[in-house]
Amino acid sequence: MCGPHAAVRSIVGEMIGTHERPTVVDIEAGLEHLSRGTARHVDTLLIVVEPYFKSMETAVRIHELAREMGVPRIHAVANKLRGKEDDEQIALFLKSRGVDVFAFVPEDATVLKAERLGVGPLDVSSSSPAIDRIAELAGKMRTAGV
Amino acid sequence: MKIAVAGKGGSGKTTIAGTLARLLARQGERDVIAIDADSNPNLALTLGIPRAKASRLRPIERTVLNRVADSEGGIKLVLNRTVTDVLREYAIETPDGVKLLLMGKVEHAGAG
Repeated sequence: MCGPHAAVRSIVGEMIGTHERPTVVDIEAGLEHLSRGTARHVDTLLIVVEPYFKSMETAVRIHELAREMGVPRIHAVANKLRGKEDDEQIALFLKSRGVDVFAFVPEDATVLKAERLGVGPLDVSSSSPAIDRIAELAGKMRTAGV
Repeated sequence: MKIAVAGKGGSGKTTIAGTLARLLARQGERDVIAIDADSNPNLALTLGIPRAKASRLRPIERTVLNRVADSEGGIKLVLNRTVTDVLREYAIETPDGVKLLLMGKVEHAGAG
């Protein structure tokens, strides 16, 4: 129980639980790493999902796990969308499995350029289709007032 | 506002997490912290830290934790200093004012 994973989880849990200001945690990729310690202190889980079957299936499993753990708000953020058809398919699939899509973020030249350069999208531009959707997401999180 | 961001590797999870943290700060939230629990340097890059610096960042050490007995007779790990002290010692300032904390790499596969 006191291995390196446990230590990381304890630090993350303690920091989230004690810091009184907004906190964003980039958790490990595998859903087994959504530990109870982290889940207990988090009020919102955002599940980033791409418009293809395996990614959507993973999102559904993460959603189920998070719900079992009692995370109060769980939303999907659809990412790398290439058009209206992607938006509709992903919304339809996830809705049928009980997952709410909170934001639709398009594939975006600014994000691709940032990845190529090894910088952040906001270091390339302060506005782009993807950045503007993430800004709306930030606004929604602030309005939720948690 | 305590947000965790999950997703498969390659989904853009880190890009969303980092950009969201910066935009929260740009929209007026003070003292936003971002925690990289995924042991990759990409969150630092997304937050605007230059590549050369990102590779030299110091993760939080396990010495911030104490092992204490819990009420059920087990052992739990708790911080042995205040969050303010942890931030002072380990947080990295990023261009939009988001403070970044890096968790150390977990070397032993299957441990914990």
